[in-house]
Amino acid sequence: MSQQVVRTRFRRGDGRVAYAYLAPALLVLAGLLGYPIYQLVLISLFDYGQEQVSGGAALEFLGLGNYRALLSDSQFWTVLAQTVGFAAVCVLGTLLVGTALAVLSTRVRTWARTLLFLAALGAWATPAVAGSTIWLFLFDANFGFVNEVLGTTGFSWTYDRWIAFGLVAAQVIWCSFPFVMVTLYAGIKAIPVEVVEAAALDGASTWRTARSVILPLLRPLLLIVTIQSIIWDFKVFTQIYVMTNGGGIAGRNLVLNVYAYQQAFAASQYGMGAAIGVVMTALLLLITFGYLRALRRTGEEL
Amino acid sequence: MTSPLGKRPGRTVAEGVTVLVAAVVAFPLYWMVLTALKPSAEVISAEPRPWTFAPTLDSFTRALTVQSFGRYFLNSVVIALIVVALSLLISFLAATALTRFRFRSRTTLLIMLLVVQMVPVEALTVPLFFLMRSVGDTVPAFGLNHLGSLVLVHLAFGLPFAIWMLRGFVAAVPVELEEAATLDGASRFRFLWQVLFPLVAPGLVATSVLSFIHAWNDFLFAKTFIISAAENQTLPLALQVFVKPDQNDWGAIMAGSTLMTIPVLVFFLFVQRRLVSGLAGAVKG
Amino acid sequence: MRFVRFAVVAAVGAAVVAGCAPVQSGPASSGSDEKTGQLRVWLFDEVNRGPKEAVVKEAVEEFQAAHSGVTVDVQYVQVQTRAERFKAAFSDPKSAPDVAEFGNTDLAGYVAAGGFADISGEVSGWDEGADLLPAVLDTAKVDGKVYGLPWYVGVRALYYRTDVFAELGLTPPTTLAEIAPLARRVRAAKPDLLGISVGGKYTYGAMPFVWAKGGEIAEEEGGKHTAAIDSEQARQGVAAYTELLRDDICPPAQCAGNGGDASVEAFRAGKAAMTIGGDFNRKSVDESAAAGKYAVVPLPGETAGSIAPAFSGGNLLGVMSGTERKTLAVEFLKLLGGKQYQQKMFTAMGNLPTFADVQAEVAKNDPFEEPFIKTLSAGARFVPVTADWAEIDAQAVLPTMFQQVATGAQDVNTATTAAAEQMNAAFGS
Repeated sequence: MSQQVVRTRFRRGDGRVAYAYLAPALLVLAGLLGYPIYQLVLISLFDYGQEQVSGGAALEFLGLGNYRALLSDSQFWTVLAQTVGFAAVCVLGTLLVGTALAVLSTRVRTWARTLLFLAALGAWATPAVAGSTIWLFLFDANFGFVNEVLGTTGFSWTYDRWIAFGLVAAQVIWCSFPFVMVTLYAGIKAIPVEVVEAAALDGASTWRTARSVILPLLRPLLLIVTIQSIIWDFKVFTQIYVMTNGGGIAGRNLVLNVYAYQQAFAASQYGMGAAIGVVMTALLLLITFGYLRALRRTGEEL
Repeated sequence: MTSPLGKRPGRTVAEGVTVLVAAVVAFPLYWMVLTALKPSAEVISAEPRPWTFAPTLDSFTRALTVQSFGRYFLNSVVIALIVVALSLLISFLAATALTRFRFRSRTTLLIMLLVVQMVPVEALTVPLFFLMRSVGDTVPAFGLNHLGSLVLVHLAFGLPFAIWMLRGFVAAVPVELEEAATLDGASRFRFLWQVLFPLVAPGLVATSVLSFIHAWNDFLFAKTFIISAAENQTLPLALQVFVKPDQNDWGAIMAGSTLMTIPVLVFFLFVQRRLVSGLAGAVKG
Repeated sequence: MRFVRFAVVAAVGAAVVAGCAPVQSGPASSGSDEKTGQLRVWLFDEVNRGPKEAVVKEAVEEFQAAHSGVTVDVQYVQVQTRAERFKAAFSDPKSAPDVAEFGNTDLAGYVAAGGFADISGEVSGWDEGADLLPAVLDTAKVDGKVYGLPWYVGVRALYYRTDVFAELGLTPPTTLAEIAPLARRVRAAKPDLLGISVGGKYTYGAMPFVWAKGGEIAEEEGGKHTAAIDSEQARQGVAAYTELLRDDICPPAQCAGNGGDASVEAFRAGKAAMTIGGDFNRKSVDESAAAGKYAVVPLPGETAGSIAPAFSGGNLLGVMSGTERKTLAVEFLKLLGGKQYQQKMFTAMGNLPTFADVQAEVAKNDPFEEPFIKTLSAGARFVPVTADWAEIDAQAVLPTMFQQVATGAQDVNTATTAAAEQMNAAFGS
């Protein structure tokens, strides 16, 4: 293997070595992700409930039956709209807060930045279950500190549909902005000082420098954090599950992910739960690739 | 320090804002620790105060003594560490393959890595449940009710993001280095472990943090896979012990949350600097 | 590396072949019957669990002393998330516990899922078994076979605060229609109290209203169930119950999300003038802010002096069908569910025993039990006995219906129609 002639960059036999390096990863991914995903699609085509699982009843192939039932269910469309709206708010909020704070931390001295980073890392490090519980307690109707400060003791933050969504969104932003902030901060720091100084010497204003020099350099970074945020926020589960007690009163705070879980596990309609999962994946794919295409049209490459 | 946007006049204002934001962000954490330290009468009080004059470790004692918290803690640590070690090894090799070699289906693989992250984990619990059950028929230690099943799923779910992230770090190592090493007669294998591996260290650290959090925080799989074996439960489940049909034991919940957050926080602070440079490197690929 | 590629292709190929159809588990019976090792037991978590835990611990110690080499591991399962826990256990019998407590409403569904073992022989061959109340034993039967040992009877009645009623010069309601005005008066006089603490998810507190008005959840004809929750009488009942979930009695912001436990909890905290609670809640109320300041009457029916049909609840102890220690499991069942420990559970929690002689004895010595026993003898009702009920219950059809009305999102007619449609869909399958 080692005695090959060095070419400029790539060598003969690259493919084989590459696959050898990739083998463990592919094995794990094929077995533990690929196969379950395949099963997921398969299950979504069957009437697959608890009796079928236990072998008490025969499997019935429904084809696209579950999907048809899903698409004609008005609750699905409500939940879908809620999911998209909720995820959009979370993504925008996370990006906005993360970017603003990243820029802010480049403009302050080390002590202040360290303080901010410590707090942010703390929020980031808090496990989702613990984080949701803390927020719930802070906003508790009777014993919560927030109601005490606002003088609204007894007010329930999780009753009204939109207030509950807002509260959960705030929690999601709280624990996901640090990733964006740290990444973008590092990105800004990596921009050579000369580039910016040159722009400043040309008489460009701070705002213009930011927009026409720094922003383009940050674009690949922004792209990654945006895509990751979309993927993560679209799939929010723990926060909704814990904070709205499994989807709110009469299920009005459901998002797709929790809805799929309720269908699959609570109602034991595994086939239907799987169908929702597949629809969700397709939707995420659509959104992500739509986003990538829109970017490409403006001249950005992955 | 000099910064690209650095301008002296507004700095005091900026620092004021920074401190304020840091306080707001840290407040829930402060409240968590505070609640854990408050005597129980103050926790469930109609007039909660943001301080306490009688701090006590009672809540921590309850959290630690009720239902073998230590055992759960150990389980969580073991799972997280094994997952981190394995995923570092596997993702490092895969990332090297994806950046250092050009082969057919490379782009396809990259896109696949992104796509698999989009499948909702919750929907996959059902097929994974049955997969683990079959695995358990041949290798009991990796079956349902055993810690091995959790190691396997966390490894699988953490891997795509780990590879995606490490890719950037490997790409950032100049190719010339590799050429020099090869000219010196270093085998590919030696190059990989003695040259590339140390150079990618910051990236490995950043990746391991995320893998760690991922495995550490899991609630869903622990809840679904560990059916009846109390001795194999993990920390997030232990917290549920204090969520009760009557009045939640908030003090113990907060003490448990604190204990659960501390290891991650320590891990974070330990690698803070590398994490920052690491994340920046990750995205240059 | 060609072989790697081959291996991947082969692995994928094998997976495709192996998985033409989703997995199904085989018959759950393991066959073996070990006499030592660990016995895993699931019991329900409850409001104020301490006394229950103490009794169970005593039983465990007695059992372990009598059986060397046997340990008993008891886990407390949340009632709210029981559906997913039990389903997981049914789907992998190897990892399932050996003994479990479960509600009689879940019986049909659990048996259909193959989760519990038939213990008819064990119960009929047991000397204490002959004293089990026949009506209660019937709630443990599916197609004539016994799948659980009735552990206690759960029946609900109206708890009220004697101090508040005396202060305001009120008397407990004698008809169903009197409850709402009475509750309104209390809350008007004492705005920090709920008139009556009820919940949007408190199905078993709500159903007596429907039954009292002559409504039904579903009707059975020739083995097939049809939803009846959208009938005129049932709608009156739904309206009567949801009238309580208003700002001037029990504000939806506070109450709509509550189930039975949370409803009773508000009463325990001294924040409600009335609530609908079970015999099994009694001890926990005795250890709360309402202790010594409350009394219980049967929930009144339509006419003065009548009693609203109560839901005939109760929990069973069953042996999981995948157990590898059936003999031990049955023996533990007979110990914890036997007369001696039912008596202890009554003392600890107030749970009404399922043995005729034990029940008669506790009723004689404890006037507190009177309203519950009166309610029972006035005729209690049950949920539709069909495996589909587990699904309807897990989909939270009835709670969602009450919540929709309580929050004002839907009117009674729309909500009941939607619930009936959902129920019929489940019955149809």
